[in-house]
Amino acid sequence: MASNSKRKSWETFVRRPTDLPEGVEIPLVLRDLNPGRRKYGMRHVVAIVGKDEHPAQMDLLYVRTVVGVLLPEPMRIKILRELPIELPGQAYRDFFGALRAAAKEAKQN
Amino acid sequence: MSDDTREFIETLRSTGDLLEIDDEVSWDLELGAISRLACEKDGPALWFKRIADYPKDVSVFVNPMATWRRVAAAFGLAPTSSVKEIYQEYERREGKLIPPVTVDRGPCKEVRWVGDKIDLFNLPAPMLHEGDGGRYIGTWDLAVSRDPSTNWVNWGMYRFMVYDSTHLTGFPRPTSHLGKVFQDHYVSKGKAMPLAIVIGADPLSHFAAAATYHLGGDEAALAGGLKGSPVELIRCEASDLLVPARAEIVIEGEALPDRVALEGPYGEYPGYRTGEMGNGILVRATAVTHRRSPILTVDATGYKDDSSTITAMSGAVAIKRRLERHGVPVVDVYLPPEGAVHLAVIAVQFGGKEIARKILETLTSRRALLSKIFMVETDVDIFDIGKVLHAFSTKCHPAHGVHAVHYEGRANTLTPCYSQAERAAQKGATVLFDCTWPGEWSRQWEVPVKATLDSIFPESIRQKALERWRGYGFKQ
Repeated sequence: MASNSKRKSWETFVRRPTDLPEGVEIPLVLRDLNPGRRKYGMRHVVAIVGKDEHPAQMDLLYVRTVVGVLLPEPMRIKILRELPIELPGQAYRDFFGALRAAAKEAKQN
Repeated sequence: MSDDTREFIETLRSTGDLLEIDDEVSWDLELGAISRLACEKDGPALWFKRIADYPKDVSVFVNPMATWRRVAAAFGLAPTSSVKEIYQEYERREGKLIPPVTVDRGPCKEVRWVGDKIDLFNLPAPMLHEGDGGRYIGTWDLAVSRDPSTNWVNWGMYRFMVYDSTHLTGFPRPTSHLGKVFQDHYVSKGKAMPLAIVIGADPLSHFAAAATYHLGGDEAALAGGLKGSPVELIRCEASDLLVPARAEIVIEGEALPDRVALEGPYGEYPGYRTGEMGNGILVRATAVTHRRSPILTVDATGYKDDSSTITAMSGAVAIKRRLERHGVPVVDVYLPPEGAVHLAVIAVQFGGKEIARKILETLTSRRALLSKIFMVETDVDIFDIGKVLHAFSTKCHPAHGVHAVHYEGRANTLTPCYSQAERAAQKGATVLFDCTWPGEWSRQWEVPVKATLDSIFPESIRQKALERWRGYGFKQ
C-alpha cells in the first residue's frame, strides 16, 4: 500500500540503531500519530526509510528506542505493503524476529 | 465495604480523598501527567469527568488505592489508620475466604459489543507516559484465566495496551501465574486461552488480583474474605469464564499461542521504563461489555503508584507466611512504598549467616521479584524507614554482613538496574543486608548499647522524662 499524497506522521520502535538501514525494504511496526480517537493505532508494514528529503513526498517517521526515547531527527518513510496484525510467532518470543519472518514470507509469496 | 467502583468513589468523596475534575482533559498524556504528579505528591484519587474525543458519559477514575488513606477506606477502616494497623487488618482477613456467588444479571452487561461492533478505541485508554509503547487500558484491571487441567481460576493485575480496534497486547510476566498457565497448558498445545480483562470492579477484588497469592489460590474467595461478603460473578459472553458482575468494563478475548505483536515499553511500577519490549502476548478481543456511563479505572504507574501500597502489603504478608513455613524466625515484614516492591525489611528474632542464606533461598527459588532485603532485629520499628536506615548504616558489617544470591531464568525483568542481556536471560541477583548483631557477641561485653531513650537510660528516668515532657515546655 503506497502512502497517501498528504504527508502523514508515523512512529516506530527499534531495538538498536542498525535496525533502520536506509534505502532497502525493511519490516517495521508503525503507529499512527495523527490526532483523534484512533491515534497510536498499530500496523505492521514493509517500507523503505531514509534520512534525506525525497522529491516525492514521503511520510514522516519518528523513531523511538527500546526504552521509549525519541530520536531527535525524524526520518522519511514510504510504506510499500501491509503485513498482518497477527504475526505468526510464539507468545513471549521476540516480536521483531516474527516481524522479519513475516516480511520474508510475504516476499516469497 | 464498597461493592463496586461507584460505591468506592462515594466512600472517597466522603473521606475527602477524591478530586473530581470537570474540565476537559486529553487522554493523550495530559491525564497521565496530572495523575503521575498526584501519586508523587500523595494526592487524592482523581475522577476525570470529561475526556477529549470521547462522549460526556465516559469517564476515567485514577489511582484508586495509591495512598494508605485510600487503602484504609477500601478496607472500611478509618482513613487515619497507621500502616501497621492496615497490615494487621489485612493479615487478619486474608485467611478468611468467602467463595463468590454466581448471578444471572449484572450491570456490567448493560451495553454489549460483539462481532463488528467491537472497537477498543471507543474506550478512553490513556497514553500515560510519553514514549510508552501504547495506550494502556489494563492498569487497574483484573485478568481472569483458567488452568484447564485443574479448573483453577486465576485473577491477576497485568498490563494490557490497545493495539488496534480488536487487539490488545499485554505483559503478564512469563513467571506470573497467568504466564505459567498460558505457557504450560495453551502455548504448548497451540490452543488459544480464553481471557477476560475486567476494569473497574470493587476495589478489594482488584486488591486480591494484585496480591501476592499462592499458585492455586482462589483470588475471588480472597476478595470476598477481604470484603466480608461474596463477590458476585457473571458468565462472560464468549467463554464460560466468570467476571465480577458489577464491573465497569469487561474486555473478553483469547490470548493467542502462535501469534505475536509488539508490547511495551511501558513506564512501570518500579518507577522506570525499562527496555522490556516485544516479549509479550497478543490478545484478540471477542466481546466487550460495560455499564452505562462506564468508568475506566487507571493506575498511573510509576513511582509510588497503587502497587506501592497494595502489592507491597500483600507481598509482605506472603513473604512472612513463606518464611514462617521455612523455619525462619521471622517476626514481621514490611515493603516500604519508596522501595517499589523491590525492597523488603524483614524483622527476625535473631539473624546471622544461616538465617540470611535461608531467607535468600526461600524468596528466590521460583521467581525473584525482590532484589534488596534488610534483615533487622525486633528493636527496630520496621514501619519507620528512618529507623531501618539507621540500623543498616550502623549494624550491617560492610564485608561480612552482605549476602547475595545469583539466579537465571526467574529474575524480575522489570528491575531497572539489570542490563538488556540480563533481562533477556531473566538473570539477576538478590542481596541481603544483615543488620543484626552477630549471635556469638556477648550482650554484656560486646554488643554496643543503643543510644536511644528506650535503651540507654534507667526505666525510672525514662518514665520521669516522658511524664514531665509537656511540663518542660515541649509541644509534641
